[in-house]
Amino acid sequence: MKIKKGPASIIFNIISYTLLTLGSIGCVIPFIMILSGSFTDNKTILTKGYSLLPRDVTISAYQTIFKAPQDILQAYKMTFFYTGVGTAIGLMMITMTAYVISRKEFKYRNTVSFLIYFTSIFGGGTIPWYLMYSSVLGLKGSTLAIWFPALMSPFLVILMRTFIVGSVPDAITESAKIDGAGHVTIFSRIVMPVLGPGLATIGLFLALGYWNDWYRSSMFSTDSTTWELQFYLYDLLNASTAIKQMSQNIGIVTGDLPTQSVKLAMAVVSTGPVLLFYPFVQKYFVSGITVGAVKG
Amino acid sequence: MKEVGLSRADVSAKDKAKGSGLVERLNAQVAGRKLGILLSMAASAITLLTMLPLFNWFKIVNGYKLVKKLKVAADEVAKLKGGYSVFNMLSFVQHSGAGILGLFAMMMLILACACLYFQIVYIVKGALNKTDKKGYLGIYGAGEAAMLFGVLTGCVALIFAAFAKKNLGLEAIRPTVFVYLVIAVSVIGYVIVKNMQVAERRIYHEHGLLMEIKKNWVLFLMLVPTFVYFLINNYLPMAGVYYAFTQFNFRDGLWASPFVGFKNFEYLVSADLFRLTRNTVLYNVVFILLGNALQIVFAILVSQITVKWFKKSAQTLMFMPYFVSFVILKVIIYNIFEYQYGVINTLITSLGGERIDFYNTPLYWPFLITIFFIWKNIGYGMVVYLATIMGIDAELYDAAKVDGANIFQQIRFITLPQLKPTFIILLLYALGGIMKGQFELFYQMIGNNGVLYNITDILDTYVYRIAMTQPLSIGLGTAAGLYQSVFGFVLIVVTNWVVKRKNAEYALF
Repeated sequence: MKIKKGPASIIFNIISYTLLTLGSIGCVIPFIMILSGSFTDNKTILTKGYSLLPRDVTISAYQTIFKAPQDILQAYKMTFFYTGVGTAIGLMMITMTAYVISRKEFKYRNTVSFLIYFTSIFGGGTIPWYLMYSSVLGLKGSTLAIWFPALMSPFLVILMRTFIVGSVPDAITESAKIDGAGHVTIFSRIVMPVLGPGLATIGLFLALGYWNDWYRSSMFSTDSTTWELQFYLYDLLNASTAIKQMSQNIGIVTGDLPTQSVKLAMAVVSTGPVLLFYPFVQKYFVSGITVGAVKG
Repeated sequence: MKEVGLSRADVSAKDKAKGSGLVERLNAQVAGRKLGILLSMAASAITLLTMLPLFNWFKIVNGYKLVKKLKVAADEVAKLKGGYSVFNMLSFVQHSGAGILGLFAMMMLILACACLYFQIVYIVKGALNKTDKKGYLGIYGAGEAAMLFGVLTGCVALIFAAFAKKNLGLEAIRPTVFVYLVIAVSVIGYVIVKNMQVAERRIYHEHGLLMEIKKNWVLFLMLVPTFVYFLINNYLPMAGVYYAFTQFNFRDGLWASPFVGFKNFEYLVSADLFRLTRNTVLYNVVFILLGNALQIVFAILVSQITVKWFKKSAQTLMFMPYFVSFVILKVIIYNIFEYQYGVINTLITSLGGERIDFYNTPLYWPFLITIFFIWKNIGYGMVVYLATIMGIDAELYDAAKVDGANIFQQIRFITLPQLKPTFIILLLYALGGIMKGQFELFYQMIGNNGVLYNITDILDTYVYRIAMTQPLSIGLGTAAGLYQSVFGFVLIVVTNWVVKRKNAEYALF
């Protein structure tokens, strides 16, 4: 059935293409600014300011960064470590928990769900949480304090439960149980193999959280060897101490440093991987959000 | 008591021997149950009575030595009166300056409140005597909780006295006869209730925690890491709210710093609380309403696009800001609004205008913060609403088209009403987080720029600054955090209750 388009449709189309184009540009422009700034000669920035498109294109900012890359490589290494360990362990714990609270024969599933959910509506606050790790457990300066606190979240556990309930019909687990399968077998042989999209989605949510975190480094790191990449960038923006350090390493007088463009280049270097992967993993985030939205 | 404890199996065995009829058997059981509930309710009532402030659970002995030992100020001595009920031990801690007992006294207070609550619940349930689909198990469960809390509160009171003796170095706080009375009646009540519960459980094929662990031990094992995680990360820190009632100093440390009651809260109310609450709530209300409105608008626009590549790239580009860290946002803000080199000021000066000093002008920031909140979150919300729009039955639109409805009418009368449930659920979620409110956004945009605090400081940034830079204000920061938690909690519970009454489908829990 084809219905002729009336004038309302045409008006609507004009509005929607215009707004969406504007919206897309508005969302992307800041990134373009950073990118072009990072390729702009520092002197140009100092005299003429930042601009949308690069003027006097140069890669000197990147050269400065990679002349003495120890610090940023260390931050990269640590971030990979936190992201890898945190995502792997977190994913395992979230999946096991979600499996348990999705089992109907588990009498306390509602109690457990509630105890997990409750943490999202009430808590002791930032300072008791901080003192728990730093004073009570004495983890200040340890890498454990950086990856442990973000292993799980109520939202991800509930999302995973929705995935499990949606992809493993009760009939299958019931018949496996009749055949004498225990929980370990059901979990590893039946649930895990069909949970691919769920694992990918939750894993990506976790990994993104770890990659973008700066907060826990600001709270628990005592020296720059344990810094997360984003905190390294944050520190660079704030104090520019890292630039001074870097200049001493390569022997340039601080006054000549391309500080402005180096800041932007550093932002590009630290975000690059996320935006490179983004087009390929976007669909998992969309599916995760969609599953969460349908459940409510 | 033995009579009460008879299980159904015992009864039937006896009855077989006697050869008595079904009616008598049932009568015996009903009578036994009535007696049991009555007795345990009496235990509850005794516990309840002794918890009234009239009755002292603790007696101060060796008062003179104690005053000397703790070096209590002269004007406070009179306030250390002869006895304390289970609820006001904290005033002893406050007036005596024995901060080390504080956390313990606070735990005891919370426990006592819980105990009181469970006693009342059991007495009410027992008096109403209503059964549900699991028979009397609901009542017995309430009774079990009441009795357990009675025993627990009594025992903690005893331990508290012993702890005080050890810490103060002399016997100063002595538990009175009421403590022992509560423990005794609660133990008796527990035995009665438990016996009845066991019999009742057999009828409904129910079993307790131990049996459940034995049956499903694998499932319990799988939960162990999660249990440890939430205990360390969420539940144990809750004990730290005690700091909100103390004045931290380095000499006494975290747990022994003097207990000051509500002084931190009083200071907060007089100094910053109004401003912080106003900022936090107003910003978040605007975020929620404006954010959701724009997300809905853009989701509808995207859903109507038929050119595939345009649809896909618009969605991809608008979702992109969600994926970068807030530190990148800081870079962007700096890049655009910096006084000397920022994009906007470069543009203004090239057109011959005056530079705008954004970083020293608070007026601009509420708008900028809102704009960048929307920038960061529009793609995420769009996906959520788009998912709902895709789920709308296509026949609805077809029917509307046949009836001659144009696209605007279709959106007005089909799409928007269908989006209402999603909107309400997202709204509820967001309301719960209204007091938490976007810490990273504010901190990365404003940072430590004191000029802008008045209009941009929210509770979270305030607490964070205290945690990082002012260790002596730990009490104050914890008080602000506690206020935030309680406010948010009450808000979500009340909203949920209201929503549940109007339409149970939308309720969160």
